[in-house]
Amino acid sequence: MLLEQDFQGFSFDLFLRNQQLLRRWSNESKERIENVLAKPPRKTGTTIAGVLFAGGVVLGADTRATEGNVVADKNCSKIHYIASNIYCCGAGTAADTEATTQLIASQMELHRQAVDRDLVPVAAAMTRLKHYLFRYQGYISAALVLGGVDELNGPSLYTVYPHGSVDQLPYVSMGSGSLAAMAVFEARWHEALTEEEAKCLVYEAISAGIENDLGSGSNVDLCVVKNGGRAVDYLRGYAKENVRVYRKPTGHVFARGTTAVLAQELRKYVQVTRVVSDL
Amino acid sequence: MFLSRSEYDRGVNTFSPEGRLFQVEYALEAIKLGSTAVGIQCADGVVLAVEKRVTSPLIEPRSIEKIVEIDTHICATMSGLTADARTLVQHARTEAQNHRFNYEEPMPVESVAQAVCDLALRFGESGYGEDDGEDEDGGGGDGSGQRGRNNAPVMSRPFGVALLLAGCDERGPALYTTDPSGTYTRWLAKAIGAGGESAQVVLEERYRRDLSLAEAEAIALQVLRQVMEEKLGAKNIEMARVVPDGKSGRFELYSMERLKACIESMSMTDSPR
Amino acid sequence: MSHPDPGFVSMSFDSDTQRKIVSHQRTWSPYVDNGGTVLALAGRDYAIVAADTRLSVGFSIPSRNFTKIVQLTDQAVLASAGMGADRQYLHKILRSRLEIYRYQHQKEMSLGAIAQLLSNTLYSRRFFPIYAFNVLGGIDANTGEGFVFGYDAIGSFEKVKVVCSGSGQTLVQPVLDQQLAGRQKYDVPDDQRMASLSLAEAIELTRDVFNSAAERDILTGDALELYAVTASGVRCERFELRRD
Repeated sequence: MLLEQDFQGFSFDLFLRNQQLLRRWSNESKERIENVLAKPPRKTGTTIAGVLFAGGVVLGADTRATEGNVVADKNCSKIHYIASNIYCCGAGTAADTEATTQLIASQMELHRQAVDRDLVPVAAAMTRLKHYLFRYQGYISAALVLGGVDELNGPSLYTVYPHGSVDQLPYVSMGSGSLAAMAVFEARWHEALTEEEAKCLVYEAISAGIENDLGSGSNVDLCVVKNGGRAVDYLRGYAKENVRVYRKPTGHVFARGTTAVLAQELRKYVQVTRVVSDL
Repeated sequence: MFLSRSEYDRGVNTFSPEGRLFQVEYALEAIKLGSTAVGIQCADGVVLAVEKRVTSPLIEPRSIEKIVEIDTHICATMSGLTADARTLVQHARTEAQNHRFNYEEPMPVESVAQAVCDLALRFGESGYGEDDGEDEDGGGGDGSGQRGRNNAPVMSRPFGVALLLAGCDERGPALYTTDPSGTYTRWLAKAIGAGGESAQVVLEERYRRDLSLAEAEAIALQVLRQVMEEKLGAKNIEMARVVPDGKSGRFELYSMERLKACIESMSMTDSPR
Repeated sequence: MSHPDPGFVSMSFDSDTQRKIVSHQRTWSPYVDNGGTVLALAGRDYAIVAADTRLSVGFSIPSRNFTKIVQLTDQAVLASAGMGADRQYLHKILRSRLEIYRYQHQKEMSLGAIAQLLSNTLYSRRFFPIYAFNVLGGIDANTGEGFVFGYDAIGSFEKVKVVCSGSGQTLVQPVLDQQLAGRQKYDVPDDQRMASLSLAEAIELTRDVFNSAAERDILTGDALELYAVTASGVRCERFELRRD
């Protein structure tokens, strides 16, 4: 049981919760209790960020997915489609960010059809997201950067936290590399960014996360929503600066017979005799 | 004014005004009363020969043990108060084993000599074992559990014994002496004990760098025969040799039969003097 | 969740639970895993000892150029993965022990003697271990043959031809076993399995596996330090690795 495990350090995560559950499940089998208690929420590292500029919004993300200390995917896509004028970067558990953004994307399409408009407001997506995440009390570990352009508010940029709180700011970052990214924003951001400057700034922010945060890595993806929400530049692989430096020139050659033949059986033909039953 | 000599030689930790430690000098004198021991180093090994004073026909000669093994590649013989030698030999054996434990290799002969002299100096009123900071190899990983024993008082007076250490290490055969002053010296050939001085003269005459081990055996026996009061025989001497074995050496103590054979062949090759 | 409020605890839990919480708070954690990968492999007349230079704590990188390797003699090089502070302490102890040995015995410590000394040094801390996972590589002073030794944290060691430790161990060791130790060859006698690589080939393989480890292990990267030990001495080379 988690309570009895030999902890290192001062982590009290879930301790009180487990106490309550143990008491409630005092009649349950030990295996079942262990199964529920022994699975801590998994967090994955990421750097995602976004900035507003006069005519739109730029979103950015790295492309590393990790499982513990192992890189699970070197080029995954973390900027998700919500609507034609709205995109959303996801940090946290990959399954949660993907499922959540897909769900909200469906809802936004239904909403667009229901209200019979070309573009849904970014605030609508933000509201649905925060209500959904709040309902799950933080157990859906999705930390999001939501950006887009609509007719109501023009360019909009939000962060949505796993527990359901929201910030609206001109420049935002999320994920384990958010501090590195925010350091770049705080140093270089100004109010009159052009589109090109905004792209450059987001690229540099993500790049800082990739370099300095072990949970983030590989390439930079960018997504620019502009022109009143009617134009989108989805720049997959905007920068690819972390390539393998060296490879053995001769490659890895496996000699014939590397895999041992443990048993061999040769058959020239197989004769099938038809057997007719007496019955 | 100065105290008389008889007062300066009381304490082992008091220099005389001339800068002498009388007790140490007396200890050196004790060696000159001891049985004679001879060691000769040559290219293919080291040989030790030592007199055993069998003062009565009722003594069982084998109970007098004058040549002892320090490790498989080093042996020692002694002259002086042989009881004191036991402490030194035990220390040398422990250090040799510690070295094997720490480094998985045989201890160099010179290092053993140094270790013996480290102990030889540990006498006097505060003659306690080395403290932690001075442990030969540092505290690190000896794990030998010797600390407690090293803290016991060692000796109130100097050790009244000199050792001849013979061994082979990766640098080849080597012969060392240690004395009560804590000095060690390397020799090609050396005699210590009552007949030591006259024996040394003979050794200096007869030593050659190209001696074979068999010749060295014969010389050692002849020298011993010259300086011994009793008639030399297989029962009143002891012999051993260490021959090189790879980067180390192999200690061999001569059996009674082998001693007899050596004495026989020595007598035949004997040049009338 | 933050630390439980003591008042809240006393209201909500029985005394046994309170005791557990209190004893829990006293738990002391002296170890940090600073990541990184170390490797040693031996050939007929050489040994290679290599390590990356990244020092990490959690998801951050305090240093990109923190050596894990110490050259102990002209014939022996040691690399240690694990905790940075313990590694520096261990290397310092060993350097001083070697210096004392040099004065006391008037010779360099042999590879075998260093191997035994390292084992004893680690075991002397059996119940408060030095958090370092060592690989020792070098050549035998007499035969000139390369050998490496692999250790656990408390001094158990083995003389082998190839070994890897640290955060990339699970990625690298199987490749080395296949490419060098011939572990997949079922029908070959044990003494004929080892591939005989030239020094240049071995360096190529080492660089290759470190680049592979840096691709998939987030704690390995930045640069590769590679020490080649041969009869003519120790040569150190440095290669860049990916930095993300």
